[in-house]
Amino acid sequence: MRSLFRPDVVPDTAILDDHQPLIRSLERRGLIRGSLSLGALALLTGCDVKRPESVESALLAISRLNDDVQALLFNPNKLAPTYPASMILRPPKFNAYYDVMDVKPVNGKTWRLEVSGRVADKRHWKLQDLRALPQTSMVIQHICVEGWSYIGGWSGPTLRIFLEHVGADLRAKYVAFKTADDYPSSIDMATALHPQTLLAIQYGGETLADPFGFPVRLRTATKLGYKNPKWLTSIEVTNTYTGGYWEAKGFPWFAGI
Amino acid sequence: MIHSVAIRILLGSCFLAAAMNLVHAQSNTPGGMPPPPGMSLTESAAMRFPQPVRVGDLRGRAVLRPVPSQDVLGRVREVVRDRDGRIMVVVDFGGFLGFGARLIAVPVDAMVLLGQDMEIVAFTPQQLRKFPTFSPSGTTTVAGDTVIKVGLAKPSH
Repeated sequence: MRSLFRPDVVPDTAILDDHQPLIRSLERRGLIRGSLSLGALALLTGCDVKRPESVESALLAISRLNDDVQALLFNPNKLAPTYPASMILRPPKFNAYYDVMDVKPVNGKTWRLEVSGRVADKRHWKLQDLRALPQTSMVIQHICVEGWSYIGGWSGPTLRIFLEHVGADLRAKYVAFKTADDYPSSIDMATALHPQTLLAIQYGGETLADPFGFPVRLRTATKLGYKNPKWLTSIEVTNTYTGGYWEAKGFPWFAGI
Repeated sequence: MIHSVAIRILLGSCFLAAAMNLVHAQSNTPGGMPPPPGMSLTESAAMRFPQPVRVGDLRGRAVLRPVPSQDVLGRVREVVRDRDGRIMVVVDFGGFLGFGARLIAVPVDAMVLLGQDMEIVAFTPQQLRKFPTFSPSGTTTVAGDTVIKVGLAKPSH
């Protein structure tokens, strides 16, 4: 029987479809997502859900609040779980926003890393300069927002040592990255200084292979996979929010795990 | 056993739900595309950035179909060299929940590594069903500590 309380005119269900990525991005708030219906959206926005912008801005507001709460809860001294080297998956799992055949290898001999923003020393870095910094190794889980994960072993200088070396303003808000595959990314300074955030130049004790980000990629144990840009070309220390590739499509920016 | 079947069914339904939910999460272009028409398996495998992998690490891996539902086609049983020296992956193919499977030999260049799993990218399940049942005569088993190179793909979901 048709409910007596059913309104005569129901909103277009396409509105929920149009905002799939945003709704998904609220996964850490299972309860909120579970209760996210057209009716709840109408209450949330307090206005016409037929206006897609209003739905989007309401969802983004929740996502931003979620980011702020995660940043507040982040403990800069708490370490993510680590594993024995015998558990390293060799080779690691490939992933990008395109398939492997479209990977454009970077020439390590001519490659330079730009350093910009709130840093004292803006000299470009070569691969051997990164190798000359003290190296750290960690065997950690790579956890993708899609639901899969694997255990990988990464080595390189910590981002903290790099930032200290270039005289970065460690009170700045963000560290932003650019890559050879046009996948901009940025993280909060607390995560940048975390002991398990590396500029990874090795995997499983070997030079990082082309499909996994040679010559250098970010590898942080405290964030989801998509916060680990590969094939880095530039690092900027900044107080200006620069977002990232998936963040621009509605994925959460903090993405802590 | 019953436990693992229940888990499989549960996982299966989770996957289905996930596949319907996150139509694109990280996918602008699909992963595990078949070789372009007219290209040999060897040529297409070379384009997939082949990476070294221990043969012993391949045994037992799930072999998936490169589609969003990632159907399990079988499991890697063995790696062999055929009469012509080509490396073939012997897959326990087909069946239902482990019953009724048979061994087929798939050229390694028709397959890719997908994290802890493998995928057959160059043949459809219809084509694989017509593969002859594997017979070990004339082939040599590749030892577990041998390192071979296998191409990659991004996840197909």
